[in-house]
Amino acid sequence: MFQNRAEALALALPAALFAAAVFLVPVVILLSDGFRSSAGGWTISAYTDFFSNSLNQTVFLRTLKLGALVTVVSAVIGYAAAFAIVSLEPGAKGRMTGLVVLPLMISPVARTYAWIVILGRTGIVNQAFQALGITEVPLRILFSETAIFIGLLQLFLPLMIISLISALENMPKDAIPAARVLGANWFQVFWKVVLPLTKEGLVIGGTLVFTGCLTAYITPAILGGSKVLMLETLLYQQVSVSNNFVSASVIAFILIVMSFAANILLKRVATARNKMRSRP
Amino acid sequence: MNARSLFIPITLVLVLGFLIGPFLIIVAASFSAGETLNFPPQGFSLRWIAKVFTVESFQASFAMSLFLAIGGTAAALVLGIPASYALSRYKLPGAEIVRTVVSAPIIVPGIIVGLALLRYIVVPFQVGITLALFVAHTALVLPYAVRVVSASLDNLRSDIEEAAVLLGSSRLGAFFRVVMPNIRGGIMSAFILGFVTSFNQVPVSLFLSGPGVRTLPVDMIAYMEIVFDPSVAALSSLLAFLSIGIVFAAERFLGFSRYV
Repeated sequence: MFQNRAEALALALPAALFAAAVFLVPVVILLSDGFRSSAGGWTISAYTDFFSNSLNQTVFLRTLKLGALVTVVSAVIGYAAAFAIVSLEPGAKGRMTGLVVLPLMISPVARTYAWIVILGRTGIVNQAFQALGITEVPLRILFSETAIFIGLLQLFLPLMIISLISALENMPKDAIPAARVLGANWFQVFWKVVLPLTKEGLVIGGTLVFTGCLTAYITPAILGGSKVLMLETLLYQQVSVSNNFVSASVIAFILIVMSFAANILLKRVATARNKMRSRP
Repeated sequence: MNARSLFIPITLVLVLGFLIGPFLIIVAASFSAGETLNFPPQGFSLRWIAKVFTVESFQASFAMSLFLAIGGTAAALVLGIPASYALSRYKLPGAEIVRTVVSAPIIVPGIIVGLALLRYIVVPFQVGITLALFVAHTALVLPYAVRVVSASLDNLRSDIEEAAVLLGSSRLGAFFRVVMPNIRGGIMSAFILGFVTSFNQVPVSLFLSGPGVRTLPVDMIAYMEIVFDPSVAALSSLLAFLSIGIVFAAERFLGFSRYV
């Protein structure tokens, strides 16, 4: 450790001042705009206005619902996939992890675009459904909550899987055999042994997936279209179509609060379960 | 075979099919000979891959994205390396504040960063679009630069530069001759991570893109809203192979995953 404070500040300040000037200050001003009244004082009327509009309510609830749903489903699939991967031999494990991470390197535009080919009117799913006689007219799958759900799940599932892989690898190797020998069934093994021991990975993965869903723009924009909005796409519309900057500021604040709340809530849930377990 | 040994291959096939399948479909669709985007592709041709190189707006936006990814990441490293060094080697007053401020752009949704920059920097100070995008991408990459460079500095013993200073080197000389060669892998990894992040970034650039000045992904979204031909698929595949290639090379030569 070097002690020279002036030198330390000279090294660190350019980066800190840059981030503060181009990022922190503008974002704080933007957020404060939503609390300004036209008379110059402070008010929360922009927020009551925002939530009294039924379209905004729908979009807010849809964002919450899709975020929660994608997080839960990715956790379920994530555990299965992470289990399968950690039980492989080291070489195969590395290759499989690589394949799981691979989509993260690909542009989200390309990854979302693929779903148009699959879910569109003449897409693979509709072709298959028509060939099998499930439906006669092509189904409208694109521009729906289902399409957004599928797109978001595919986008963020890798983050959940890699969080759970490292959590499972850090688990004591004999915990599962020990529980089995003591007579636990597979459900009990998961609920009472694996889940408590991997909850940190689950919290990290869950936070990444949920905040990812909240702040994803491309997926709802392409797969939801202009009718099925999420908060991000609503924000964009408010600015580019309606020029409503106050509403944009309100949405921005809601998004940030939701990200932080999700993080805190998930941590709470994890520690609450822990306390329950340690009670005699 | 019992149920348990079947579970592993079936799970892996389903999950990887879901994660990678769509990408393979895009690759297949880009070799289509047909007029519209479809799967299975009608015939085989390279016409859409060839077309990507002739669309003028793609050329301009590709050049813009490349400039932002290289320039923005380089600028983020110029700011981030000294800051990481101060954070890991000095008793820095307010170290936590500095750490929070430089990593803040990662927490706040990109679309908000873009809007805030537009409203309170670009419009009031009459900043040009290119400069605004450059500044935004630098801020966006800065958290990654600081995180990755800090990680490799923390893995390096700090007594070697103290030894260099004791032996008569200046602090600056010790940094360039002793520390830099040892964290080169970390810096390269930070550069690649920053490059890929910046290149694929959409929300930050959305509001900042102006007439004729766009980043490539924003341009691709605009293009596919108007034209439904396989050229966006072709371009997507080319870009995907480019970024996969870069990351693979980085892993092979630098051990990328140690730093990220």
